Amino acid sequence: MYGIIDCDNCYVSCERVFRPDLKHKPVVVLSNNDGCVVARSNEAKKLGIKAGIPYYQLQEKFPRHQIAVFSSNYELYGEMTGRVVSLIRQEAPNYFRYSIDECFVNLKKMETADLKQWGEQLHRKVMRYVGMPISIGIAANKTLAKVASHFAKRYAGYRHCCFIDNEEKRVKALKLFPVEDVWGIGRRYAARLKAMGIQTAWDFACQKPEWVHYHFHNVVIFRTWRELNGEDCVPEEEMAKKKSICTSRSFNGMVSEFSDLRTHISNYAARCAEKLRQEGSVASAVSVFIRTNPFREDLPQYENFIEYPLYTATNSTITIVKACTEALEKIYRPGFQYKKAGVIVMQTSPEDAIQTTLFDMDADQFDKLKKLDRVLDKINKVNGTETVVLGSQQYALRSGKGKAEVFANVIKHEFRSPNPTTRWNDIIRLK
Amino acid sequence: MAKVKILGKEFSHPKELKFADAIKAGFPSPAEDYRHDGLDFNRDLIRHPEATFYGRVDGDSMVEAGISDGDLAVIDRAVEATHGDVIVAYVNEEFTIKFLDLSHQKEGYIELRPANPKYQPIRISADDDFEVWGVVVWTIKPWKR
Repeated sequence: MYGIIDCDNCYVSCERVFRPDLKHKPVVVLSNNDGCVVARSNEAKKLGIKAGIPYYQLQEKFPRHQIAVFSSNYELYGEMTGRVVSLIRQEAPNYFRYSIDECFVNLKKMETADLKQWGEQLHRKVMRYVGMPISIGIAANKTLAKVASHFAKRYAGYRHCCFIDNEEKRVKALKLFPVEDVWGIGRRYAARLKAMGIQTAWDFACQKPEWVHYHFHNVVIFRTWRELNGEDCVPEEEMAKKKSICTSRSFNGMVSEFSDLRTHISNYAARCAEKLRQEGSVASAVSVFIRTNPFREDLPQYENFIEYPLYTATNSTITIVKACTEALEKIYRPGFQYKKAGVIVMQTSPEDAIQTTLFDMDADQFDKLKKLDRVLDKINKVNGTETVVLGSQQYALRSGKGKAEVFANVIKHEFRSPNPTTRWNDIIRLK
Repeated sequence: MAKVKILGKEFSHPKELKFADAIKAGFPSPAEDYRHDGLDFNRDLIRHPEATFYGRVDGDSMVEAGISDGDLAVIDRAVEATHGDVIVAYVNEEFTIKFLDLSHQKEGYIELRPANPKYQPIRISADDDFEVWGVVVWTIKPWKR
């Protein structure tokens, strides 16, 4: 059996731990730069606030409602979810973290226990220790566990844990489950399935294997179909690490100079390299994208995306920043007002499996870069993020200011909550 | 700080080579059998790192209990609050630190008692949506700033 454990409305729940007065109120959290809504409390969902709507629309459409608004505070969310994962690990040592707020657990060694009761207890423990509500879905494989998790969230009767432990429950659950919500079926495939008259997960599961092969030449979809029918075939190692890491942002204004854009891209690239090192993985290719504001129809529009291979898989800040700025040079066009840019590092694999190509750098240089990164990480860890950065991460000297000062003006986070778990100055005040 | 790091990657202490001394050639140290890990506040005073939060005392409502303005409170959410405990609760849109008085539970209310005659106890009836946020397990008082 497998379990999927995730935090309910994770970012909102993190904020509520330190604002218990918001327990039954509509709460939303905005994306980086206060662009759009990325997390909603159940009360906000009930009001009809959709995920992804821009913040200005929220103000226009719901002026009379008292909605608590927060800028995203990833420092807080990272620390709080870390606590949750630590508790999960104590209860189910065979776990892997799938995203900031989702964890798969392999329960094979615990099958003698009453798993439904185990899940309910875990919910109570995490709620009490951390103040975080979680939902648990348990089933014979990961795809069905995901289905179970939806039911655990939707119906209070499950007491936060839904266990699909027999054939009857599997059939019943799949008949009630829309095909587009099945894990592994993207929006594109869901649209095709619906066009063929397939509405529920059950409709899809009932198709013959030949039919699935004929219509979808796709391993992932076929695997999903097999899992819906009860087989266990999504390998763990494929999910333990994500396939790519993305750092991107909408600017709080518009950017047209190459040098300014390069500063942003270098920052995102450095951040990706740091994340890779934290994960102990390396990337074999980078992608860079830039685009203008599609809503400003009065301005000339341009967008481009480029993939750039790295000859040796790496997580070195210098190498990745260099590759990204080279990639940017290829797609940058003057005369446009850019609104968003991003870096994606791809095909990450564990660091210890690196293969250097014949033509690439020698071992000596490789070691030097590794040492440099270690020093970078150490200084930035002790003295705060981005204390030491590469030259290209700096703004041009014309402003006469350090990067930190200039960047504070670039990234908007008007409604950011304090960091009571990571900064002494922000700990809660007790009257 | 709790043994919890940002981004929650590693929660354990780095491993040390505990008995590395033993592989040295020469005369063994007579102290080796008595090796001990030493005292560590994080390990020994914080029983539930995932449930531990910190608060700064603001005001003098608990001053006669020896808890004064500026003290640091170590709050454990995993511990069950019992009668007489110093607890943290959220009342009237703020966190408050008080003694938990459960002696009137039968009459349908509980009280949060200050330790300063200037303040009134806060009465909470059974119908109120009230929760103990955490139990204060230590306070740390700075003597020299």
